[in-house]
Amino acid sequence: MMKINKKSLKQNLTGYLFIMPQLLLFLIFMVYPIFEGIRLSLYKIDYKTETFVGLQNYITLFKDPVFTQATINTIIFVVCIVALTVVFALFVASAVFDKDARYVSFIRGSYYIPVMVSMVVMSMIWSFLLNPANGLIPYLARQAGLPTVNFLGNRSLVKPVIIFITFTTNVGQAIILYIAAMIGVPKEIFEAAEVDGANRLEVIFKILIPLVRPTTIYITIINIIAVLKIFVVIQLLTGGGPNNASTTLMYYLYNNAFKYNRLGVASAVGVIMFIITLILSVPQLRAMFRGQEQ
Amino acid sequence: MKKKIKRETVDIVANIIVTFFAILNLFPLYWLFTSSLKNSADVVKMPPDWIPKSPTFSNYVDVFQNQPALRWAFNSIVVSLVATIGVIIVSSLAAYAFSKLEFKGKDIIFLVFISSLMIPKEVMIVPLYRIIQNFNMANKLSGMIWPNVATAFGVFMLKGFFDTIHDSLREAAIIDGASEFQIFYKIMLPVVKPGIGALFILNFVQVWNDYLWQLVVGQEKSAKTLMVGIATLMQDLNPNFAYKMAGATVAAIPMLLIFIFFQQYFTRGITIGSVKE
Repeated sequence: MMKINKKSLKQNLTGYLFIMPQLLLFLIFMVYPIFEGIRLSLYKIDYKTETFVGLQNYITLFKDPVFTQATINTIIFVVCIVALTVVFALFVASAVFDKDARYVSFIRGSYYIPVMVSMVVMSMIWSFLLNPANGLIPYLARQAGLPTVNFLGNRSLVKPVIIFITFTTNVGQAIILYIAAMIGVPKEIFEAAEVDGANRLEVIFKILIPLVRPTTIYITIINIIAVLKIFVVIQLLTGGGPNNASTTLMYYLYNNAFKYNRLGVASAVGVIMFIITLILSVPQLRAMFRGQEQ
Repeated sequence: MKKKIKRETVDIVANIIVTFFAILNLFPLYWLFTSSLKNSADVVKMPPDWIPKSPTFSNYVDVFQNQPALRWAFNSIVVSLVATIGVIIVSSLAAYAFSKLEFKGKDIIFLVFISSLMIPKEVMIVPLYRIIQNFNMANKLSGMIWPNVATAFGVFMLKGFFDTIHDSLREAAIIDGASEFQIFYKIMLPVVKPGIGALFILNFVQVWNDYLWQLVVGQEKSAKTLMVGIATLMQDLNPNFAYKMAGATVAAIPMLLIFIFFQQYFTRGITIGSVKE
């Protein structure tokens, strides 16, 4: 009896030693900030003094029209960008997945390179391309006989432009995931469908797309979360303008925290975003647990 | 690997569209690079020179002379490299334990780790920044590194690789009298090398592009990373667009090189995170 206990004690100890570094870092930099964020959101913070104010920060938020605007904008960005990404990536992947490997790798590379060079670089290029005075796109628009427009300074144009830029920069990741998933579909399934006389469109819509559904769920969730925290393109291209037409939750959080020094309010935005991400990630986490149990 | 579905017109049209957009998608990068080689007058000339008439590297010289760009690049390399090595060390240890060892609370702890995977650290940027300040890591590279080592993605990814190793390998080593750490370091780690390779590349790129956190932590000019530093050129008083484009090219080139040399790692690494069927 004693021997068994001793053995299991040693086993437990070895296990804990192995996970200790990861666990410590995780507690300090992931778990603690979550609880500290919730606590801070209930306080008014002036440099060193903290006063408990209950839900006052949340009330302030819901009364602030800029917060409402940022929330609406973020929702619009999430819905449009994610829908565009899923549809276009499905289109590209289903067109190329059964082709020559070198062609597939060229397509994958071309769409993925903007992901690699990052939103910062892509934003800088687009700010030059769209510059009203000497950008290429306004010039081409003028040549085509269109009126001169300031793409980023126009209330009704700024959202579509941001959506387009973010979509073209990020779609490569979804394309890579879909191509991998489609290459993994067993060949026999297609052959059977062909014997039954199905044409390519039928194969794609009735067999391929339903079969890659887990990938679609994964792509949808990671993209929702990625767009939810959309920041770089806003900071570098529009600064949230014109007149808050392109401001987002993350940009609002950043400004409150690091420009206006309203740390309690910023924490409250963080808590709200945390809860949204947590709820959104549930289906993906379920699928991951199932994958682990197998 | 290749499976043929009968050639049809719709397929051919679809592929023409896909190829057209693939090339169009690269145009902004072409414009970036060629603009960076023009002089300040040519770069804004309309109609534009589609190919630079007299390419010059003077904008690059300006970027490195006017800005501490080398310092920024050095900072980016240190932050990405150290954070990635840190991730590999702590997550391979933990992944091994979750995969091969038995200990109390194992399942619960792993569940908590996985649950954090989808939470971006940006949503808790205020408390996180206060922690960094308390540890005296504001404006220091260590402040940019540590929170990135804490993420659990590597644990999840490497556990999948350890799971594929048969237990008999470990049992044989125990009979030979090897300690648990020897088994991990000498026997198991070499087997999961491909997983570590994929994790290295993915994590390196992710930390390299960790813009918002680096912006917040490194506010002094000398503490900036390449991405954050180059982004400040957008607000630079110098109106020369070619100069800004040269800066953006400098920021883009390291990642382009990594992609060209390690393409297969990306495809593998990116797909590992998704659902296993």
